[in-house]
Amino acid sequence: MPQERVVPPGDVTQRVGVEVIRARGVDVDKLIRMLIANAGAEFASTYYYYTILRMHLAGHEDYKEICEDARLEDRAHFELIVPRIYELGGELPNDLPAFHDQAGCRAAKLPDPPTAVNILTLLLESERCAIRSWIEICDMTFGKDPRTYDLAARILNEEIEHEAWFIELLAHERDGKSIPGGHFRRGEPGHAPYSKNASFYIGS
Amino acid sequence: MGSGSALQTDHVDKKENTSKLFTVRLLTPGGAKTIRVSDAKHIWDAAFDQGVTLPALCHQGWCLTCAGRIEGTGEVDQTDSLAYFPQDRNERYALLCTGKPCSDLTIRTEQAVAMRRNRLRNRLPAPYSQGLEP
Repeated sequence: MPQERVVPPGDVTQRVGVEVIRARGVDVDKLIRMLIANAGAEFASTYYYYTILRMHLAGHEDYKEICEDARLEDRAHFELIVPRIYELGGELPNDLPAFHDQAGCRAAKLPDPPTAVNILTLLLESERCAIRSWIEICDMTFGKDPRTYDLAARILNEEIEHEAWFIELLAHERDGKSIPGGHFRRGEPGHAPYSKNASFYIGS
Repeated sequence: MGSGSALQTDHVDKKENTSKLFTVRLLTPGGAKTIRVSDAKHIWDAAFDQGVTLPALCHQGWCLTCAGRIEGTGEVDQTDSLAYFPQDRNERYALLCTGKPCSDLTIRTEQAVAMRRNRLRNRLPAPYSQGLEP
């Protein structure tokens, strides 16, 4: 059984919740660094979804609906993971540009020209970066840090769904092909069944 | 985009048929490994195809996880990378996930931390750099 360094009674400078995962082999400093980078990517993607969605997908109301779900779910991911950063002893940068510059994925800025194909391509690749980033957290924490693993796996579930959505939309818009994403409709916008621990079934 | 989608591989394959091949020597922590890489292919992908798995995360030329450093002469085409700065090139860093060889090369792999420090020194975006000193 792994043994952690004992935190003295009443000591508020150390955390048993950190020491137990360190004892099981988690590099806590690296984990904090990666969680901040992932949180930065979720925060930035939420912001850029606003500009892309609200301003430049006019005439594609179906795409807007899908993007709206993805935007709100990315925001849910940010809010889901930030408390974990603080629990581990980390903190968000006290400077927004610094936070942006540490993000693990590039900000999804509006492409030029802002066609539906270019926007969907950009969003697809953003989701792919997110998948790679979150599965890295899952790999780091599997069997060692069940709390972070659970949060990261919930986010990963939704990022994988988002990729499927954008493959479906881009294949249709760009190639005239049907590659079903296999999803049912979300409930209200930002439903986030995994990251909000909500029901998968709406109205049933 | 830095890395083309899985739906757009035809174009890359056609280009590879008319490309030049270069020898790339990878100095990894596990020893030196030599691979052949076409000028139409990303070095990371060629290494993977030839049994050498290098570090990578975003595969888009952004996160710096795949960073290497060119030793001696030689150049890498980084036009597929989402972010690559003159200050990276000046210090001979290369992003292998989205870098294509322009010549024969020797590259020391696993230079992510060093490249992030270089970015911080130059006040440039440095993903995964929280807590790192320049």
